[in-house]
Amino acid sequence: MKVIPPVCPEPDSGPQYFRSPEALADSPELREWAEKEFPAGASELSAAESRRDFMKLMSASFMLAGFGLTGCRRPTEHIYPFGKQPEGYTHGVAQHFATAMPTRTGAVPLLAKSSDGRPTKVEANPLHPDQAGTDQFVQASVLGLYDPDRAQYFRKNGSIAKREEALDALSVLGRKFAANQGQGLAIVAESSSSPTRTRLQAAIAAKFPNAVWASYDAVDSSIHARAASLVTGKSVQPYFKFNLAKRILSLDCDFLGGEDEMYRYTRDFAKGRKIAKADEAKKDDLINRLYAVESLMTLTGGNADHRLRVAPSQVAAVAAQLAAEVLKQSGSSLSFDIAALAAGAKVDSKWITECAKDLVAHKGAALVVAGQRQPLAVHVLAHAMNEALGALGKIVELHPASSPAKSLADVAGAETIILLGANPAYTAAEVWSQVTKTAKTIVRLGYHEDESASGVAWHLPAAHYLESWGDARTSDGTVVAIQPLIAPLFGGLTESEVLARLAGTNSSAYELARETFASLTGGVLDEEKWKKFLHDGFLSGTRSTAVSASFDRAAAAAELAKAAAPKAPSKGELEVVFHRDYSVDDGRYTNNGWLQELPDPITKIVWDNAVLLSRETAAQLGLKNGDVVAISAAGRSAEGAVWIQPGMADFTLGLALGYGRKWGRIACLDKFSVGFNAYPLRVTGVGFISGVSVKATGRTHQFICTQDHWTLHGRPVVREANVDQYLAKPDFAKNFDLDAHTDYLVKNPDGSIKNIYEHPYKTHPKLASQTHQWGMVVDLNACTGCSACVIACQSENNIPIVGKDQVAKGRELHWMRIDRYYTADPKKKQQGGMIDAFLSNAAGTQGNPETVNLVERDELQATKKWIDDPQVVTQPMMCQHCESAPCESVCPVNATAHDDEGVNVMAYNRCVGTRYCANNCAWKVRRFNFFDYNKRPIGGGKLASDLFSSNIGLYKGPLGNRPGDEIDLVTMARNPDVTVRMRGVMEKCTFCQQRIESAKIAQKVKAGASDDVQVKDGAIKTACQQACPADAIAFGNLLDPKSKVSLLKQHDRNYTVLGFLDTKPRTTYLARVRNVNPAMPDAKIWSLEEYKDVTHSDPMKGHGHAPEGDKKGAKH
Amino acid sequence: MSAAAEHHVPSSVKIAPPPAELERQPLVLQNRSIGWISDHIAGICEGPAPKWWLPALLMSVSLMTMMFGCIAYLIATGVGVWGLNQPVAWAWDITNFVFWIGIGHAGTLISAILFLLRQKWRTSVNRAAEAMTLFAVACAGIFPLIHVGRIWYALWWLPPIPNNYGIWPQFRSPLLWDVFAVSTYGTVSLLFWYTGLIPDLATMRDRATSKVKKFLYGLFAFGWTGSNRHWSNYEKAYLLLAGLSTPLVLSVHSIVSFDFAVSQLPGWHTTIFPPYFVAGAVFSGFGMVLTLLVPLRTLCKLEDIVTVRHVELMCKVILATGSIVGYAYGMEFFIAWYGGNPYELAAFKNRAFGPYWWSYWWMISCNVISPHLFWFKWCRTNMVFVFIVTIFVNIGMWFERFVIIVTSLHRDYIPSSWGYFKPTWVDICTFVGSFGLFMTLFLLFMRYLPMIAISEVKGVTPQADPHHPMGGAKHGGHH
Repeated sequence: MKVIPPVCPEPDSGPQYFRSPEALADSPELREWAEKEFPAGASELSAAESRRDFMKLMSASFMLAGFGLTGCRRPTEHIYPFGKQPEGYTHGVAQHFATAMPTRTGAVPLLAKSSDGRPTKVEANPLHPDQAGTDQFVQASVLGLYDPDRAQYFRKNGSIAKREEALDALSVLGRKFAANQGQGLAIVAESSSSPTRTRLQAAIAAKFPNAVWASYDAVDSSIHARAASLVTGKSVQPYFKFNLAKRILSLDCDFLGGEDEMYRYTRDFAKGRKIAKADEAKKDDLINRLYAVESLMTLTGGNADHRLRVAPSQVAAVAAQLAAEVLKQSGSSLSFDIAALAAGAKVDSKWITECAKDLVAHKGAALVVAGQRQPLAVHVLAHAMNEALGALGKIVELHPASSPAKSLADVAGAETIILLGANPAYTAAEVWSQVTKTAKTIVRLGYHEDESASGVAWHLPAAHYLESWGDARTSDGTVVAIQPLIAPLFGGLTESEVLARLAGTNSSAYELARETFASLTGGVLDEEKWKKFLHDGFLSGTRSTAVSASFDRAAAAAELAKAAAPKAPSKGELEVVFHRDYSVDDGRYTNNGWLQELPDPITKIVWDNAVLLSRETAAQLGLKNGDVVAISAAGRSAEGAVWIQPGMADFTLGLALGYGRKWGRIACLDKFSVGFNAYPLRVTGVGFISGVSVKATGRTHQFICTQDHWTLHGRPVVREANVDQYLAKPDFAKNFDLDAHTDYLVKNPDGSIKNIYEHPYKTHPKLASQTHQWGMVVDLNACTGCSACVIACQSENNIPIVGKDQVAKGRELHWMRIDRYYTADPKKKQQGGMIDAFLSNAAGTQGNPETVNLVERDELQATKKWIDDPQVVTQPMMCQHCESAPCESVCPVNATAHDDEGVNVMAYNRCVGTRYCANNCAWKVRRFNFFDYNKRPIGGGKLASDLFSSNIGLYKGPLGNRPGDEIDLVTMARNPDVTVRMRGVMEKCTFCQQRIESAKIAQKVKAGASDDVQVKDGAIKTACQQACPADAIAFGNLLDPKSKVSLLKQHDRNYTVLGFLDTKPRTTYLARVRNVNPAMPDAKIWSLEEYKDVTHSDPMKGHGHAPEGDKKGAKH
Repeated sequence: MSAAAEHHVPSSVKIAPPPAELERQPLVLQNRSIGWISDHIAGICEGPAPKWWLPALLMSVSLMTMMFGCIAYLIATGVGVWGLNQPVAWAWDITNFVFWIGIGHAGTLISAILFLLRQKWRTSVNRAAEAMTLFAVACAGIFPLIHVGRIWYALWWLPPIPNNYGIWPQFRSPLLWDVFAVSTYGTVSLLFWYTGLIPDLATMRDRATSKVKKFLYGLFAFGWTGSNRHWSNYEKAYLLLAGLSTPLVLSVHSIVSFDFAVSQLPGWHTTIFPPYFVAGAVFSGFGMVLTLLVPLRTLCKLEDIVTVRHVELMCKVILATGSIVGYAYGMEFFIAWYGGNPYELAAFKNRAFGPYWWSYWWMISCNVISPHLFWFKWCRTNMVFVFIVTIFVNIGMWFERFVIIVTSLHRDYIPSSWGYFKPTWVDICTFVGSFGLFMTLFLLFMRYLPMIAISEVKGVTPQADPHHPMGGAKHGGHH
């Protein structure tokens, strides 16, 4: 509508102003003219009630009538910008702080990312002299900070109390016990390397000399220090340097997975496995060689070149045999009376002699390690061998250790117990109930209100390390800073604050850490030093100095004399190994969804633990996968379901600790879904027990396994060879699969296959970026399969957990997975080796048993003899970023496309979810949001094993309700740089696009007017690459010929998975090279033998073809 | 009728009828008059509904409602209510889509190709078959729409309109080709069916007893008077549409087969798919036509119009196309072996002997064995037997699509990602419910529209030939 100027009100008196004589006269001519000129508003000139008047009147009358609409306004919420921007803060730019995550044996030096004040990601601190990447627990610790089931309140006898009251109560306790020298006071703490703890422990010992200080860990690594102290006569702990060893013998030591410090051991081990080039001169010293003697199939056994499976009790006997042989062959002056100990084990004597021979041949570069589960005698034998092999003091560096503390049982009789962190009511229920019988007051500092929280007088919420001030020592002794990235979310306390209150000071954790720092740096706090300490995250020059010590033969012999010859287990008297779980440790991470959903690196089971046993044991006991059994030994018992695990020692059950919890939204989804509790069967602190019997209960349990299929079927997805084969034919990896048979195809001048339809980037080179082309190389020789990368990816890319029922349906969302295959003698595979009992079962579930030899069935594989002694290969698998990506051409809406830098990108906003891309991906790395996983409540999910069950609990659609605390807390862990995907959207690895972009922006800012916009090599690390302790993943710019990734792609071991599809993936792999000792029994690379057997071609000859003239051999 | 026909023909000029052994079997039995045909076919709509009709409709509507309920649940909650997973990202959804699209093929084949080939027997089955085509396409169209994760965006982004960033749909994607192929097919089929209906709608209008009926039939009859000019235009239009539809019969299922053939999945990536899919579609389409018509001809007493000979002819088509399908199954295996691609060979071995072996053998027994029973005349002429066999054909063809989609997906290149698919109750109810939709539409069609093309059937009766002894207007009957 045309707006006409308002009519000037005419004053009643005084002069009258007019625009024209017509206006003054208000003549009909003027009215007519006005109608013409302002037809829409003309009436306003004359009408008594204009539209505006009407509106005014109506609104006034509505208000009078009480229809005022003011009440419908949104509530006023004022937001204020920073009045003053905090220093160094730019909105949207993350800040990084050095800190450290304390562990049982030390700490992991970290660089934590803070996004707008929330810690969202942790990486290894690159400045730290002994940094070694991270492990899955460190990566998942970020989620632990935002666990909605954390202890959130100070509780006095169960009811909520004030923080001040609790602190006062601690002071009162301190004053009370100061009066009687601490009589009746006991403090139970987990092991810690913190200098502040050491200082406060000393202060408490001085103030309360009669108090008991006990150290308790459910999985105790202190045996390493005890053994080293025993054989040297000094208080020392071993510091293993795997990178110096060319030959390694592990005596049930899962140093690549189950042992503390595995991330550091993995780094050092992988260093010894990497191959720069095919150096003929080095022969089989090109890489190290690992012998593993173990009962469980562990990551270490999976990476071993030779693996001997023996029951846990028999490790001592094997160790004795090996020690005897090593001492004999090395001509060492040491000798022990261990013939009786050695007698029991029935193992191939060739294994023992050849292994010993190889170790002795590498004297000075050979290392023997004994596992935390094994008794002192095995450790003593290991040290004896190390001494004979010249490793003790060199490869096994000895660092000073603190003297051992008292044990949990010593607390018995105390009137007041201060329990710091540990959860003995769950992990050592028997001992704990004994201990607490007489205790009147228990004060517990706990991260969760879990089993140990019941019946305590005071429960204090513990602060997460990302919200605490503190300090620690990494395993090499370097002091590292623990600084908070956020104020304690629930006002939790640190251990040091509790101890300080007891000791009579009111210092905060910050003050305590500073006091300790002052004492470490000469007594007076130097602010500049402190700032540097916090900035760098560590105090340089505090590394432990090695202690020189000599081997005390007499002490060792005395310990060995105590060891009895173990009896071999049998069907009636089984043995049980209790192991630290790869996902939940000793149970401390049971409520962490990322870890629960992380497939076990070996079994690939999620959200569960299992009774692992060998095929032979299962056959003899008449058990099959999923059977629930009651396990009992000497009046103790536990109940769990059976899983047949390749490579398990016979008559040995493997029970992972830490499951079967009764609280927590994640830890206790329902009574079946989070495994069973193995602790009741365990004698506190031991690694294994004997004389166990098993009885089937008749019930079954469904395991959820992300990889049902064990064998490679001879498919050259993973390519391996032995060192000698590799040296003879360094480019063997290029001679596999159909792409080795391309002689007849037309080639480009550079040797690549000429396509019928060339990629647009080739025909229009200007389309592609001339600055960056991204690519990745994964070194399969370095990858141990530890899976830290999987969690790192989950943390970086906001990947939700989907819950057990969804994984059961095959809907896990992990962008990268670690594929694990078992390989074995192909002839053994064809032998069948079926167990009749399984046939009837298999027929009922998976079909026709007549055809089992034609196609491998998932259930039947567990019954075949070949799985007894498999070789294991692992392979990280994520989006391959094909240059001619098959996913892109089939997407009807252009939601997945190529960017000019060669990355296959997802436009989530455009994705409508046809899932065609996933179908057309040969690597099956695309993941689909079948539900709105981010909006689903965490707990309460039942497993929908029933075909018709819809009551899966985890997602109720738009009608579902998610508790507010979950939204508030869990979303804080999200990376603001990455989109949170909704349902119906496909997602996958993006090469951490957000990191690429931020590095490019940073480089552009740096370049300024200059043209130097190419990101420098190493400036971008993908999340998986950064987390990898083995440094197995390289990422970078392929246009930079000197970049690490370019150099690796030139490597003769470089190959493409499914390269024959000619999609030209940007992710390639370096073939695996094992170092199998030809003198040992079964010295073959089974995956290679399988390939040869299936395809009748030999990659070690020519170009994958069989010898000339053998037409049959060329058949594929 | 032209006036000339009314003249008496001198007996000397009269041509003697051909000897009995040369006489073609009449298409309408019992020498039914033109009037009888009109009365009988229109009577199905005009008379009281048969006793079975209302219960059948109620059941169909309930099933249809169940399907829409499932769809509402699916869209509200997420595609995860189906049993899909990684690696089986398509399962019953696309199986059902291809199944229904295949069913739709018989109608167009009968109406278009047989028309062009002057197969006069088509007249008594084409209307019902075309209607079936339309309803099958409607059922088929539902599945690709609801199978997507975010249907609200799919409706926005699939039509070929560039968005404000200038992004068009991806024309390289077979899914987009599907959008065009199926919508073209649906549109042309509808036009073809409707064009054929016009003279009959006029008949219905003329016979209508109530004003509402008269108005509605009249509205849709477009003022048809049966004038020469109308007939001339009608015949031209019908011929043109038949010409247009003929390539569509081949193109639609060829393009649907590209959904698979264009991918790189072993078991999908084969060049045999387009002809094999078309043959399979005709096979399944005729199976469904017979499944519907065999009981209907008895229930509606149409034995004289839809004769045993009609059924027999359609059985022969089933036999022919079933043999092509069987040949394709064999050839797939041969090529998998002869092609020398170990991944493809493994995929086919897995089909027959893998975890889904039962579905493969269901498919083989239904599709390869059952049609070959039609070599025997008894089997082709026994209506109960034909009905049972066509049911097996329908089952077999559903399993064919299931086998192709699910067994290829569940185990492909990399063994670590192999999986297994199990349907949920939502999968099952949605599929069963789609039969409800199909049957609802068909029951409404048979009750309110002439199920058989009255004018066309009349056109192939001897009475329609003015030179026939019984021809001309002398025996009465009206158009």
